[in-house]
Amino acid sequence: MPREAEPSLSERQFVLQALQENLRLDGRELDQYRPLELSFGDQYGVADVTFGRTRVLAKASAEVTVPYADRPLDGIFNIATELSPMASPAFEVNRPTETEILLSRLLEKTVRRSGALDTESLCLVAGQKCWSVRVDVHVLSHDGNLIDAACLAVVAALRHFRKPDTSIEGGVLTVYTAAEREAVPLSWLHSPFCVTWSFFGDEGETAVLDATRLEEQVRVASCTVSLNKHGEICQIAKLGGVPVDAVALLQCTAVALTKVKEFSELVDKKLAEDVKKRDKGGFMAELSAENER
Amino acid sequence: MPLDTSAYNLALLRVDGRRWNELRRVHAQIRTQAAADGSSYLEMGHTKVMCVVTGPSEPGPRRGGAGAGGGGGSGGKDAEVAVSIVIAGFSSVDRKRHGKGDKRTLELQSTVSNALSASLHTHLFPHSQINISLHVLSQDGSLLAALINAATLACVDAGIPMTDYVAACTAGSTSTYAANDEAADPLLDLNHQEEQELPGLTVATLGNSDRVAVLVCESRVQVGRLEGMLAVGVDGCKQMREILDRVVREKGQRMIQEGTVERGVGLNDMDVD
Amino acid sequence: MTAATTTPEAAVGVLPRADGSAKYSHAGYTVTASVNGPIEAQRRDEHAYEAHVDVTVRPAAGVGATRERHLESILQSSLSQIILVKNFPRSVIQIVLQIEDSPENDYVNTKLVQASLNFAIMPALIQTAVLALLSAAVPMRATATATAVATVRQGGATKTIVDPSPREVETAQSVHVFAFTSHDELLLAESEGDFTVKEWDDSYETAKAICCRPEPTKEGIAMVLDDETTAGPDMRHFLRLAMETKVASDLYWK
Repeated sequence: MPREAEPSLSERQFVLQALQENLRLDGRELDQYRPLELSFGDQYGVADVTFGRTRVLAKASAEVTVPYADRPLDGIFNIATELSPMASPAFEVNRPTETEILLSRLLEKTVRRSGALDTESLCLVAGQKCWSVRVDVHVLSHDGNLIDAACLAVVAALRHFRKPDTSIEGGVLTVYTAAEREAVPLSWLHSPFCVTWSFFGDEGETAVLDATRLEEQVRVASCTVSLNKHGEICQIAKLGGVPVDAVALLQCTAVALTKVKEFSELVDKKLAEDVKKRDKGGFMAELSAENER
Repeated sequence: MPLDTSAYNLALLRVDGRRWNELRRVHAQIRTQAAADGSSYLEMGHTKVMCVVTGPSEPGPRRGGAGAGGGGGSGGKDAEVAVSIVIAGFSSVDRKRHGKGDKRTLELQSTVSNALSASLHTHLFPHSQINISLHVLSQDGSLLAALINAATLACVDAGIPMTDYVAACTAGSTSTYAANDEAADPLLDLNHQEEQELPGLTVATLGNSDRVAVLVCESRVQVGRLEGMLAVGVDGCKQMREILDRVVREKGQRMIQEGTVERGVGLNDMDVD
Repeated sequence: MTAATTTPEAAVGVLPRADGSAKYSHAGYTVTASVNGPIEAQRRDEHAYEAHVDVTVRPAAGVGATRERHLESILQSSLSQIILVKNFPRSVIQIVLQIEDSPENDYVNTKLVQASLNFAIMPALIQTAVLALLSAAVPMRATATATAVATVRQGGATKTIVDPSPREVETAQSVHVFAFTSHDELLLAESEGDFTVKEWDDSYETAKAICCRPEPTKEGIAMVLDDETTAGPDMRHFLRLAMETKVASDLYWK
């Protein structure tokens, strides 16, 4: 497929010079995010995140399967990030680019390896039956900062998701359909979010948050920090690029923590709004009362 | 099995008998493969890595999508640094097959490539390619650091102009991820066992400066622990740079003594006795 | 399972970076499509005399498998018919259809990791693709409208259901998908299940009534139809309205 068009020399100069004077093309502050929107779908587990012109959709799903032989007490949790030509014609189906591999590794480290989802709670019958939870990340529009948007979408989708209720009686596992019993949320331990800094200048002295695609194309280095609101780092990735002063990186982490707290509040607020919206009919209220045991 | 933290608190010694700020034994050689443009062999404790550099040379046939696409190719203005990492099946205790498409290996490749291309003067070699192949023979923690160090040495051997050494090492902390205990000691150069048990990070700096080229943390850790770990890591990188520099200078001296190379003008400041 | 919306909804030009895009939802299905093209073709996709229409269908959850490939091949051949492919030799028109939402069968726990699509989603895919192609200003011979019809046999009598829900698809004897061009030509007819010629004819008439209703402005050409069939949505009028709304909002400044 065609390569992504590179910014022209004058375009590059313009962006870089503006950044040197602490100006951005869209008039934002250096540490300001684009207008951030989060919405949930009609179904459980669908989250749609928009950062300016970047748009990512995440969908969580679950099914019952057999656990891995070496981990009989754990459920299965996967995050699938396949970039389609929808995001950019440069992405090809079934041929992962570097962007895609790094994105999937980062999400994996941030959400999966940090233990955000309690995989032990997904186990139904040890060694025989467990839930396999899967999140599919669909990038609908790529205008920079895919990582932060995708991470927010994944976390929001998983927190919004409900898996079918189950019961075990006499060794017989019953999975109830949505019509029989209301679905139950996942056992969620903490919500990590990614904050990506982009660095500009010969020594990476200008640090910028939420870079657009054009800015990403001309940056000299980037650093993604994943944190949760309790101030735990889940992952840091500055994978090469121009060396940046260590003290500056520490400052970036501190600022990232404040941003993560904002993300955390946003997701909490939107989830609460969504619950209220769903509860309106009274039908749900009736169902949940029925299910109380 | 787990790092006995109570024992550490008593004697302040780690499982392998080191103190908190000690590196493991580093053994390095350059020009190990006569046929290659540049080569090196590096041991950091029991982590053993071999590196071969070919190039800068004309780029071969385009490999499948790795460099192309979304990331944005260099467009031929700079030399492309292509890294391939082979992790031997016998390198770790539990024999594991590492496929070519293993995402972790691909991530390591792109990290080493990006770290070195920032230090190498790639703009001197337009439309060309520098091939770095790394072979992991034995793993005992600090793998990424060893890979970066070995690649730096091999690039020096290949005579590719670069700003300074990219030296890397790991740092950890004796605290567990949840505890925010101020008393936790930072640790330098983690081995495999410590890497499994404790939070840690890999740092690579450019030469003697405090400028960080690579910073990778893959475990949960309190944000307050970061500063200490980073400081120890940067300090370790400086030690590592000295070690790498010594290896290069010793090899250079020997080559002059053996008459393999002429004593050049630029070597005047080196005391060859 | 009557919660499915009966009136289709569409938005054109929803993705800022693609050449053309559209979001369409109807009968519980929500699909977003992007169109890029004509763009440079790779050697293997290059045709000397015409453009290659590249269709990718991506399920909301799970990886695409044979069913998606099947849908892609059907869509590819239908869309190649209406796009003026001869105008762009050696190029590609890339269409990506991302399914965002599909109605769930509340009575069955579906396997999700192996995504399985059914025929009922075809009309939504075609409709979204056509809207996105229009938004990308890809020259076309005609537009197309599509619908799905299921036939259910209940105690000897046959009933046709327009835009069946997954539950209805499951219980139906046969499911038919029809697409018609704006010149009232049959573009696509796919059928699944067990049916007689009479049933197919009935389904065809029902679908045609939905897809090819003449312009409401021409008075007097009221079609003679049963009450049952007039209940369906007027797809052609809807398509026109969606585009008119978009054009009107684009030209608002004038």
